[in-house]
Amino acid sequence: MKYRKIKTQAYNLHVIKTSKFKTITVEVCFKSKLDKEEITYRNLLINTLCEACNKYKTKREMSIATEELYELSYQATNYISGAYNVMCFDITFLNDKYTEDGNFEASLDFLCEILFMPLIESSYASTRFNNKNFELSYNLLEENIKTIKENPTLYSKMRLLEIMAPNSIHSYRSCGYLEDLKNVTSAKLYDYYLKMLKSDILDIFVIGDITESRVKKAITERFKIHTLKKKSESHFVSMKRTRLLPKKVVEKMDLSQSQLALGYKLDKTNDFEKRYVMNVLSYILGGGPDSKLFKEVRENNSLCYSITSRSMPLNNALYITAGISANDFKKAVSLIKKNVKSMEKGEFESDDIMKAKVTYMNSIKELEDNPQNLLSMYTGMEYLGSDDISNRIKKISKVTKKDVMRLASKLHLDVIYLLKGACNED
Amino acid sequence: MKTKLEKMDLTLYYEKLDNGLDVYIVPFDKVNSVYVTFSTKFGSVHDEFIPYDRTSMTKFPLGIAHFLEHKLFEQKNGVDPFTFYSERGSEANANTSNFKTTYLFSGTNFLDENLNYLLDYVQDPYFTDENVEKEKGIIEQEIRMYEDSPYFKLYDRILYNSFKNHPIKYPIAGTISSIKKITKKDLYTCYYTFYHPKNMFLVITGNVDAKDTISLIKANQENKVFKPYKDIKLKEYDEPDEVCIKNGSTEMDIAIPKFSIGYKIRNNTSLSINKFKTYIGMFFDIKFGSVSLFNETIKNDNLATLDMDITLVNTDKHVLVILSNDTNNSKELINRIETELDSRDIKETDFNRKKKVKKSSVIYKSDSIYAINNKIMANIINEGSVITDEHKYIDSLNYEEFMNTINSINLNNKTIYNINKKKD
Repeated sequence: MKYRKIKTQAYNLHVIKTSKFKTITVEVCFKSKLDKEEITYRNLLINTLCEACNKYKTKREMSIATEELYELSYQATNYISGAYNVMCFDITFLNDKYTEDGNFEASLDFLCEILFMPLIESSYASTRFNNKNFELSYNLLEENIKTIKENPTLYSKMRLLEIMAPNSIHSYRSCGYLEDLKNVTSAKLYDYYLKMLKSDILDIFVIGDITESRVKKAITERFKIHTLKKKSESHFVSMKRTRLLPKKVVEKMDLSQSQLALGYKLDKTNDFEKRYVMNVLSYILGGGPDSKLFKEVRENNSLCYSITSRSMPLNNALYITAGISANDFKKAVSLIKKNVKSMEKGEFESDDIMKAKVTYMNSIKELEDNPQNLLSMYTGMEYLGSDDISNRIKKISKVTKKDVMRLASKLHLDVIYLLKGACNED
Repeated sequence: MKTKLEKMDLTLYYEKLDNGLDVYIVPFDKVNSVYVTFSTKFGSVHDEFIPYDRTSMTKFPLGIAHFLEHKLFEQKNGVDPFTFYSERGSEANANTSNFKTTYLFSGTNFLDENLNYLLDYVQDPYFTDENVEKEKGIIEQEIRMYEDSPYFKLYDRILYNSFKNHPIKYPIAGTISSIKKITKKDLYTCYYTFYHPKNMFLVITGNVDAKDTISLIKANQENKVFKPYKDIKLKEYDEPDEVCIKNGSTEMDIAIPKFSIGYKIRNNTSLSINKFKTYIGMFFDIKFGSVSLFNETIKNDNLATLDMDITLVNTDKHVLVILSNDTNNSKELINRIETELDSRDIKETDFNRKKKVKKSSVIYKSDSIYAINNKIMANIINEGSVITDEHKYIDSLNYEEFMNTINSINLNNKTIYNINKKKD
């Protein structure tokens, strides 16, 4: 595997040449500083661009084109990464070897039609996206936003963050907001699209068995963006601690199972703690079926089926979620608290540290087996300054029991949230 | 035995061991990981059969295969399997479907130890009254978790209403009341009936040496003693072509109402159920899939914002096609579906484009140790053997045969289920 980063004024081109895959994956990422209103714009924009373009005037025509391109798959996502909002357009398609000569360029053309040749309408002074296309994209986003509460686990995690850090970038909903959506028009969205092309930081990633020169030529010919881009700032922003005692919030929904979520904020942590120690701590606490919480809350007390802890290094926080019966609320909370406390006291074996490390190293090696995972590794290196594979392995092995205990002592329970099922049990 | 997997640049090694266990290995030379699955042909639909130690048909509580899957992770003296795999940086899991139960792990290291341990823990059950009782609370929470998903509920209800006698109508995990009846004795009976090596198969894909691995498996199995194998006699179901219940609905705390319509279609052709299912799938995909005019029209007319979801389920005689979507007007949308189905015309160009797509997906699949492992498992369950040349199978799909099949099917046996918004 060979990695090269080619810098131009307007974008960075990252070429990862590897013979491991029969596919080629291209990802184009636009990022800008996180702003609440813009989240909705960006979600609506990816829907609109993927719904139709000038060459393929409907989603149906677009789908037929992907079938003709040997089942090329495309998707666009918009996600929050700490202080930034990242919008990615991905295509995956078969290498020329398994299709025909020129399939690489033809597939790239498809992506560029979506990105740069949208279906637009003009009248007098204003240009806007095609109205029908805009309306379909609008409906889709409206439905996405409305249906969040249909996934209770996700919904309770979102509510937890909103209570922990209200009206801040830590709790912005990555799907956007209905109140912002109502104010977007097709013309405003088009203006936003032009602004985004001009001012967003742009990175292009290509992974596959293809020469650097061919990639470079194809991309340069197609990405005619020449504006000078701002330098990126850090994605890391810590959540502020505002209370000494945890806040308890119970909300009701018509559910069979209740969702419990506990949010922790951390005192100041250093880079090593954020990138490595947090990972080890969260793994031992609630990373999987061999974790403390799984064994104690599920296996020894039969209180739940699922229980996990996840660290949020970009926000300097950690949360724990479990699906429980509302009657067991107090018992579950007290068991979770006890187990978090036991991390601080060092009530775990050095064996547990070893397990966390080998699991981490295993997942690093598995990254190389899948183009999507590789992509996320390289975006991590570009955006978050993450270490490369060999340095990650070196550094994770340096984590000690003391490090984990010290980090655990920085954890402060901030919010206990229960999404209480209103259905009768039994 | 060594066979090429055509168009995939892969080779399949197969061996039947003396004790009857089928072993399938596909080495990948460019990946770091190995994925190992160990399966028994015992799933949620096998709830009535003649147990290994009896002579008459016996019915077991619903959800017993899934319950047994949970309990095999219990070990008498040894380490807990999750701890064992975690110590080796590997991931372990298990799952139960309608027709099989699978125990699995994946990792980049310690293949020999991991593999030996998988065979050992699955082949060494340890159930106590106490550990069986304890599991009931955990599985109850698992069932409640599914109940809170509207999409799961739609699927669950459509299956229940479509079938009358076949146990595919019931949820895989059983019900909160059925699992409470499960005993230690039931679990041992099911275990000894279905977990004999003759009823099981092992599939390994990834960074592995086929010869060494087969020797390791042989050495592991050689010294183990199993109860004598008795051919498993499963209950046969006389399933009518009509659906069991034609209409149903419920209310949930949701933002947009949802519906499903299920078409229960009997295979009256001479085709195998799988080829029949392939044709039916292509027909519904061309009619209602993301590339269909239908899909475009319902969005333009504000009847739906999402693509139609198409799911196929089959038993030995019937294919059930389930069309679902979110909509504020399910009555109109169902009318449109019915009208669309009045015409069975499919253009040959559309049929051929779908064949081209199928051929490409064979190559996509061949990059993934998970996709290939899943393909082999599905082939064994559905076809009884591995399809080594998928392109040949796709080439055998023929437009005339397709049209004859489509024109012969009866689409009158259907059931509709709605999930409405709960009124405040």
